[in-house]
Amino acid sequence: MKILSSYQSGLSSFFLEIGEMGKFTGRYFRELFSRPFEFREFLKQCYQMGNKSLLLVSVTGFILGLVFTLQSRPTLMEFGAVSWMPSMISISIVREIGPVIIALICAGRIGSSIGAELGSMRVTEQIDAMEVSGTNPFKFLVVTRILSATCMLPILVIVGDFVALIGSAIIENIKGDVSFTLYFNQVFAALEFTDLLPATVKTFFFGFAIGLVGCFKGYNSKKGTAGVGKASNSAVVFTSMLLFVLDFIAVFITDIFYN
Amino acid sequence: MKSNSAQNIKLGVLIISGLIIFTLGVFFIGNKQNLFGDSILVSSVFKNVNGLQSGNNVRYSGVNVGTVKEIKFLNDTAICVDMLINREAGNLIKNNALATINSDGLVGSMVLNILPSSQAPSPTIKEGDTLASISQVATADMLNTLNKTNENAALLTQDLLKITNSINSGEGVLGDLLKDKTLAKNVQESVENLNETTKSARLGLAKLNGILNNVDYENSVAGLLLSDTSAQKSFSTIIKDLEKTSSQIKGISVDLGEFSNNLNSEKGALNYVLKDSSFVNHLDQSMENIEEATHRFNENMEALKHNILFRGYFRKLERQKARAEKEN
Repeated sequence: MKILSSYQSGLSSFFLEIGEMGKFTGRYFRELFSRPFEFREFLKQCYQMGNKSLLLVSVTGFILGLVFTLQSRPTLMEFGAVSWMPSMISISIVREIGPVIIALICAGRIGSSIGAELGSMRVTEQIDAMEVSGTNPFKFLVVTRILSATCMLPILVIVGDFVALIGSAIIENIKGDVSFTLYFNQVFAALEFTDLLPATVKTFFFGFAIGLVGCFKGYNSKKGTAGVGKASNSAVVFTSMLLFVLDFIAVFITDIFYN
Repeated sequence: MKSNSAQNIKLGVLIISGLIIFTLGVFFIGNKQNLFGDSILVSSVFKNVNGLQSGNNVRYSGVNVGTVKEIKFLNDTAICVDMLINREAGNLIKNNALATINSDGLVGSMVLNILPSSQAPSPTIKEGDTLASISQVATADMLNTLNKTNENAALLTQDLLKITNSINSGEGVLGDLLKDKTLAKNVQESVENLNETTKSARLGLAKLNGILNNVDYENSVAGLLLSDTSAQKSFSTIIKDLEKTSSQIKGISVDLGEFSNNLNSEKGALNYVLKDSSFVNHLDQSMENIEEATHRFNENMEALKHNILFRGYFRKLERQKARAEKEN
C-alpha cells in the first residue's frame, strides 16, 4: 500500500512537472515574440553554446567516424560489401547517429551548464533581484538560452557529421586505399534530401529540448545549493530521455512522409 | 566591448562554416540527382519496373547520366518512367537507344540502363522523347531459376544417395568392386600387370625410338625406304609380287593338301604301298628272290665265261678294254 502510494505521488509529481513544463513552454513562446529582444545576450549564449562546444563535438564526431568505420569494416569484408562502406557510414551518421550522439553530448554540456547557471541564480535570488529591478528574467535568461540552443545545435550537428565523415574517410583511405574523392563521391551518391533534411530539422527540436529542459530545471530549482546540483543532473537525465523520444517521433513522421 | 566583438566574429565564423557545409551537402546531393544542372526529361514505358524508385540512377553505357524523376501507371500493363538526363550526356544519346531496368549488383538498388542501339544512325534525344524498353532477367526470375536448379539438385542427390546405398550394400558391379576382396585383388593384380605392361611398352618405345634415332636416313636401306620415293615404289612393287607369290604358294599348299589327303585315302597306290603291311612283306620277299636269282645268274654267267664256247668272246672283250685304257 505504501509502495502504491509512493508510485501515485511519483506519477502525480511527474505529470505536475510536465504540466509546469508545458506552461513554461507557452510562456517562452509568448516572450519570444514580444519586445524588447535581448539580441546581445542571445549572441553571447550562442557563442557559449556553439563555439565552446565545438571542440568537444568535433573530437566526438571524429572518433565516432573512426570507430564506426573500424568496427563495421570486418563485417562488411566478410560479406564482400566493403565498397558499400561510404554509403552505409554516411547514411547512418547523417540520418541518425550524428544528430543523436551530438545532441546527447550537447545535453551533457549545455543542458547541465544552463541548469546549474540558472539554478545557482535562483537559489542566490539573483533572478528575484532582476524581477525587482524591473528586468524580465525570463526573457533575458530563458528565452535567449533556449533560442541559442535551438539555433546552435543544428550547426554543431552539421559540423560534427562532417568531421565524422572525414574521420571515416581517413580510415577508409588508410585501410582500404579509397581516395577522399571516391569516398565523398560515394557519400553524396548515397545520400538523398530525405536523409539530410529531416535529420537537420529534428536537430532544431533537439536543441530546443536541451535549452527548454535545462532552463526549466534551473529556473525552478529549490532547496539551496543542493537544488543546483539536482537541477543540473535532472536536466541532463530528462533531456537525454526526451531526445530519444523526440528522435523516435521524428523517425516515425519521416517514415510516414517519405516511405 | 572588444571581447564581445571577437566572440561575435568567432560565432559568425562557426555559423557560416556550418551553413557552408550544409549548403555544399545540399548542392552535391542535388547535383547527383540532376536537380541543379540543365537536364532533359525523357521517358520510357515498361511492363514491370522491378522495384525501381524515384531517385534511382540512370546510366548510359555504365556512366551515371541522370536520375529517375517519376514512375506512374499508364494503364494496368504499362508503367511510364520519367527520367532526368543531364543535357551534356543527352546530346550523345540517340533516340533509338533502349532502356532497361537492372539491379546494381546482387544486393544493390535498381538502376535504369540506357543501351546504345546498334541500328542505323538516329538523331539525339530531345525533351519529351520516349525511349523503347526491353525487359531483362530480374533477380526474382534468377531466383526462380535457381530454385528449379535446387529442386533438380535435390532429386539428383536423392538418386546419388540411393546409388551410394546400393554400392555400400554390395549391389552391382561397383558394389562388388568395393566389397569383394577377391575381385579387388584381381583388379589390383590387373593394375599391377598393366603397370608392368606399360613399363615394358615404355621401354620398348624407348628402344624403338633409339633405333629410329639411329637410322641413317640417307645411307641405310631403312633410310632409303623411308626417305627415297622411288625406293618406296620399288618396295611397293616387291610387296605386291610377294603377295602374288604368297597367293600362288597358297594354291600349291592347297594342292599339296589335296595330294596328301589322297595319299592318306585308301584309293591311291602309294597308300597301298605305304599302309598295306602284307604287300610290303610280299615286296620284301620278292626283292630277296630277285637278289637270290641275280646271284645265281652271276654264277651262271661266271660259269659261262669258263665255257669253251663263250671263252673266246670274253677274252676278246678283255683285250679291247685293255687297249682302250692304254690309249687313254
